[in-house]
Amino acid sequence: ESHIQYERVGADVTMKCGSMDWDAAVTWTANGTDIDESRLNGSYLILKNVDLSQSGQYSCYEGSSWHLKYQTYLRVGTPPKEPVLMCRSNNYPKGFYCSWHLPTPTYIPNSFNISVIHGTKDMVCEKDAVPKNRCHIRYIQLFSTVKYKVTLTVTNALGKNFTTLTFDEFAIVKPDPPESVVAKPVPNNPRRLEVSWQNPSSWPDPESFPLKFFLRYRPLILDQWQHVELSDGTSHTITDAYAGKEYIIQVAAKDNDIGTWSDWSVAVHATPWTEEPKHLTTEAQITETTSASTSSFMAPPTTKICDKGAVVGSGAMAVCWTAGLVVAAYSVLFI
Amino acid sequence: GDSWGIFTFLCAALCNLPALPALNCSEELGAGQSIQQTYDLTRYLEHQLRTLAGTYLNYLGPPFNEPDFNPPRLARAERAPSATVDLDLWRGLTDNARLAANYRAYSRLLCYLRVLDGQVGTAELRHRLAHFCASLQGLVLSIGGVMSSLGYPLPAGPAGPPAPPGTPAAPNDFLKKMDDFWLLKELQTWLWRSAKDFNRLKKKVPPAVVTLRLEARGF
Repeated sequence: ESHIQYERVGADVTMKCGSMDWDAAVTWTANGTDIDESRLNGSYLILKNVDLSQSGQYSCYEGSSWHLKYQTYLRVGTPPKEPVLMCRSNNYPKGFYCSWHLPTPTYIPNSFNISVIHGTKDMVCEKDAVPKNRCHIRYIQLFSTVKYKVTLTVTNALGKNFTTLTFDEFAIVKPDPPESVVAKPVPNNPRRLEVSWQNPSSWPDPESFPLKFFLRYRPLILDQWQHVELSDGTSHTITDAYAGKEYIIQVAAKDNDIGTWSDWSVAVHATPWTEEPKHLTTEAQITETTSASTSSFMAPPTTKICDKGAVVGSGAMAVCWTAGLVVAAYSVLFI
Repeated sequence: GDSWGIFTFLCAALCNLPALPALNCSEELGAGQSIQQTYDLTRYLEHQLRTLAGTYLNYLGPPFNEPDFNPPRLARAERAPSATVDLDLWRGLTDNARLAANYRAYSRLLCYLRVLDGQVGTAELRHRLAHFCASLQGLVLSIGGVMSSLGYPLPAGPAGPPAPPGTPAAPNDFLKKMDDFWLLKELQTWLWRSAKDFNRLKKKVPPAVVTLRLEARGF
């Protein structure tokens, strides 16, 4: 018959070969491999200061007949440390959920028990199938003056531990981040970006429990965020974007009156609209109009700024684009 | 040359056309606007209460001023109607019932706060309480105003003496402090609830009535 044995890391373990006498001749194996006789004290197997790698199946065989006399599965682990518990209402006013985990693994199976007390009443927190280590509660009463007390106890073969959370109904309200955040450039507006988003789908009643939003944005090249708080609506136009720079934008949500801000939404990237460069087509047109004239004047290369190095005609003269246009117009008139 | 003449003629013709009808909008201040004002007032009071409660609980001393203090509710008669309500019941409240519940609660809470005002020791606390009571009075009046504008009758005011008959005075100093603790808790919860009540009312009450009066000036 098989056993399971749980031992703490660092403990000294003595395994007896079932009902065999101390002075019986036996052979021990660990996961099928023979164990050296030096580890034995008579027919007892001594494991000092066990570590995790020593977990496995230990079998004891009678010396000559090689009959299996005893078998045990050794699991080395630790008793549980204080668990980490978190409770949150992302679906106010429907209810709240609690989720938990252990700060360090125990390497052996653990069982969790959660209790919720509201005043004098015991409430049942229904365990979720997915994800594990999570349960949810439905509010029966709203606007309660009495706090909720949640106690999580974790137990394993080597010990137990627990933690408690006490909170007001309003304090744990924290929506999920806004969904479907979209940022688009605005045609013909090089400093604008249009951002829109949706209420998180987990928020059941935005009509009676409206959300307010917090938008943050910055160009990728800078570290400093800009912030806008919006008390209603699910869209906003940024009007002070740096032209041509790619932006990163995020939105967060909060119940209008109670609780805390959600985490930031998934980040979206957008670049404001920029004007298409025009000079290639215009230059061709100017060369056509001036080639027919008798004037030896030639329009300088089309640049938006005064180009001091431009050489025009026979003389070395700095000519601006606008001046060039006037001269070109005069030459056409004199045809 | 001819184009100039045509242009002058058009100008003259346009100038002599009768003026377009002038739109004269008169907006009747509907209940919608006063609901918004009442909502804003509850938010203001909630902020005020945080400071007031902090000061008052410190005055009461430990354990009342400890953040983890979570005493059981003793089976004493509740002085003011509790904000706690069944979720489905709260959803199904008529506008009248919703407003009346708020009106009654704050009227009673105001009474008890006034009694408190007369008892506290420090001048700072008296000053804060007085200021808060004044604001709370404003809230009661505001709610009353909304009810009247919607045609609802005001609930009967609280009886003269602040404590309803039958409520025993706190037998000792500690229990008296407990009563004060719960009074502040109840007030805080009501202010949280009212924000939600008035959110709901904002959506359900018909928007402010806007009348357009067209005045066409004669030819």
